Amino acid sequence: MSAAAASVHDFTVVSNEPVADGLMRIVLSSPELAASLEAGQFVNVHVPGDASQILRIPLSFSHADAQAGTVEIVYAVVGDGTRRLSAMAAGASSTAVGPCGNPWPLVEGARRACVVAGGVGVTPVVACARMLAGEGVEFDAVVGAQTSGRLWGADVLGGLGAGTVAVTTDDGTAGRRGFTTDALAELLASNAYDVVYTCGPEVMMAGVARLCHDAGVACRVSMERMMCCGFGACGTCNVAMADGTYKSCCKDGPVFDAEEVAW
Amino acid sequence: MGEKNVSMAVNLGGVRMQNPVNTASGTFAFGSVFESFYDVSKLGAITLKGCSAEPWTGNPAPRMCEVPSGMMNTVGLANPGVAGMVEQYGEYLAALDGRGCRVIVQAAGHSVEEYVAAVELIEELCPWASGVEMNISCPNIARGGALVGGTPESAAEVVRAVRPRVKRPLLVKMAPVRVPEIARACEAEGADALSLINTINGMSIDVRTRRSRLSKPTGGVSGPAIHAIAVRMVWEAAQAVKIPVNGMGGIASWQDAAEMILAGATTVTVGTANFYNPTCAVEIADGLAAWVAEQGASDVNELIGAFEC
Repeated sequence: MSAAAASVHDFTVVSNEPVADGLMRIVLSSPELAASLEAGQFVNVHVPGDASQILRIPLSFSHADAQAGTVEIVYAVVGDGTRRLSAMAAGASSTAVGPCGNPWPLVEGARRACVVAGGVGVTPVVACARMLAGEGVEFDAVVGAQTSGRLWGADVLGGLGAGTVAVTTDDGTAGRRGFTTDALAELLASNAYDVVYTCGPEVMMAGVARLCHDAGVACRVSMERMMCCGFGACGTCNVAMADGTYKSCCKDGPVFDAEEVAW
Repeated sequence: MGEKNVSMAVNLGGVRMQNPVNTASGTFAFGSVFESFYDVSKLGAITLKGCSAEPWTGNPAPRMCEVPSGMMNTVGLANPGVAGMVEQYGEYLAALDGRGCRVIVQAAGHSVEEYVAAVELIEELCPWASGVEMNISCPNIARGGALVGGTPESAAEVVRAVRPRVKRPLLVKMAPVRVPEIARACEAEGADALSLINTINGMSIDVRTRRSRLSKPTGGVSGPAIHAIAVRMVWEAAQAVKIPVNGMGGIASWQDAAEMILAGATTVTVGTANFYNPTCAVEIADGLAAWVAEQGASDVNELIGAFEC
């Protein structure tokens, strides 16, 4: 469970620029927030400029730098809210609620891991890789995108110390043509991982979970849900569990043991 | 309380509150998750997420979507049951009452029998509760999903069944339909106060997939989009009955809350705004006190229903 409880933090935009087709990287200056975040958690950001959009936007981060007091978020521009976010210039300010959710767990005794990212799911996976590097856990990485133009993070993961970085694209314009699960299946066959961490489209994570289950490897998934608050008040972000119950994506997750989730 | 010379205490049908600000059921969980944002004991009251006698799992995802100036939900009253709630939060809630903030427990049910079972458990297990709010906007399973409180007759039936079993103040959370008639029916059966409005049933369709943007065809619309409707309905209810009205619907600022008081609300209840502006309710409490002073009143009660046409 996370140490810090959520509160409202002011932030100022340091930079905000495109890093791939449809993907932007924003850096927020917010020292208290940056110091309170752990890899795998998320923040719920108020994007000003349209009073008719009342809710915040929940966003994962790729780097919470306590020393610099900054939070780096790589986000996909998919709707009106993220379009307005993409227009926030350096110096603009707003507020973020955080920390939300629970961090990626370190699996006891794990020495080798694999991280698997699909699309904008790469954001919390980069944070995970940074955590693993800091803890001295060796890791490989799989990064998938629809096209080479939409790919981000492979070099970042390499720079963080990933042994192998396998890239896949749906159309073959970068790395191998196919899905992250194709690359993961090969890596699982030739490596003894203790744990796999993944974030991406739900159908991809279901495939990763199945591969890990069959290989007898622990798997942790970071889920996404439509939500209002991000701190356990609204009850809208339910994730169906294999035992027939629901858990809350924001309070119980967003990271779950893949074996618990009803895929 | 920012204004020293202004009295903000109100009496909601026997629930004696230090100020008129309350939180809406289903928007504040069981209170504790807001303590990291501010001192919850500064509020007049909180209303807990509706609890049924047995736990309810609620509806599948997606349970929410955004609409202009608001949102929709189909949570389906997911709750841990009265006993589960007491086990997890009873100690915190008893302490919160001790800190000066009243706790209102909401009862949910799908039939008269289920409401009776819920309030009997609340009476037994929640000694710290200052009031019981009965949510009669639930669908009645035995009657094809029609709202339990959708007509004056059906509202009266469930209030009549529950009233003798609730020793504490009984609030009735009305569906936003036929307000004057249903308000009078609830008053006649012994309700101590009326809470309104609940969400307004709406629909939102993704035109590409042709599917509902929720896991169900319809959901409850809340937020600033419904505020003007809520003020009108609170005004209608306040005209129709003598018991106090607990006003809610899209309150996001002290101005919205003041509007409700002028329309006749004794208390003002913050709902959806808690999600996107978690400190909103306590800021409204401060803003209201300043407004009462600015209006030249010494007591907020002077302004209840002080609307002039």
